[in-house]
Amino acid sequence: MSLEELLDSIQRSSLAAAVRGDSGWEWLFPNIETCHVLALALVFGSILMVDLRLLGITSRDSPVSKLSAECLPYTWVAFICAVISGTVLFTSRAHTYFYNLQFELKFAFMALAGLNMAVFHFGAYRQVLAWDTRLPPPPAARLAGALSIALWIAVIFCGRWIGFKT
Amino acid sequence: MAHMIQQWADWISSTALSQWFQSEEWVVPTSQSIHLLGLSVVFGCAVLINLRLLGIGAASGRSVSRLLDSLLPWIYRALVVLLLTGAVQTIAEPMRQFGAPAFWLKMLMIPVVLSLTAGLAGAVRRNCARWDSSATRPAGAKVVALVSLGLWVGIIFCGRFIGYSHG
Repeated sequence: MSLEELLDSIQRSSLAAAVRGDSGWEWLFPNIETCHVLALALVFGSILMVDLRLLGITSRDSPVSKLSAECLPYTWVAFICAVISGTVLFTSRAHTYFYNLQFELKFAFMALAGLNMAVFHFGAYRQVLAWDTRLPPPPAARLAGALSIALWIAVIFCGRWIGFKT
Repeated sequence: MAHMIQQWADWISSTALSQWFQSEEWVVPTSQSIHLLGLSVVFGCAVLINLRLLGIGAASGRSVSRLLDSLLPWIYRALVVLLLTGAVQTIAEPMRQFGAPAFWLKMLMIPVVLSLTAGLAGAVRRNCARWDSSATRPAGAKVVALVSLGLWVGIIFCGRFIGYSHG
């Protein structure tokens, strides 16, 4: 099956039709979209707390490892909700979204955010106990925090722009 | 009343600032994106505080009073950003906002949830020890937490639905 055929079959599915409002549920799309907003708000809100701590700006009296353990479970649960709601929204107009510049940029920025997180997690974070309360945190941690904030802001901007360009 | 709102909206639309916002197509999406960043800060902080009060989430995390101390200032700062970006969108497209029932419902829920938040912060500040232990925390705390979370979710729903009010 070619990519075109795959996108077409996604778009022709009954799920996609329902999300588009073809079955008369025209409120389905905005409701799922709002769930996506709630999920992304919690993803960004919770990861920002950790990133600002990595920069040494907020929660300076909490060790990095403890703050991560407190905030990151929210990030992951919310991220899963965002993936599910986002996938459902995607089906409604799979073809349009797939070839939309803002949509493609959004995924590029998310991939970079994931890469940044992986580099930090398997790099500087392995010795976190050595610098858990050190202020300012080591340069690698500050860099990871700054990159994460910038990349997630870019993801949110691109996401909002998809709605204006499709 | 409807007539007055329409006149008011027409006047806002006729101002030079509104005209400029309308003529630059990046203004509204940019302000909406910044609005999303601001609401992420508020919602993230609100979820952490209220789920902590409900006894959900990392028990090893910070106490209720420390959580409020560190997160409340960020809620207030983000609210300033939300107010400013919301104002930009209202000035750019006044009737889109004023004509939407969701807008008025949102404007009604915001002062309620902020009063609840400020009331909670005051109560915790007066007696940290009582609030930090789940054994002595007032029974009403969970109700306040649930209502607050419900209001924040409702506010975000209304905000998104303003954009769908005119078909």
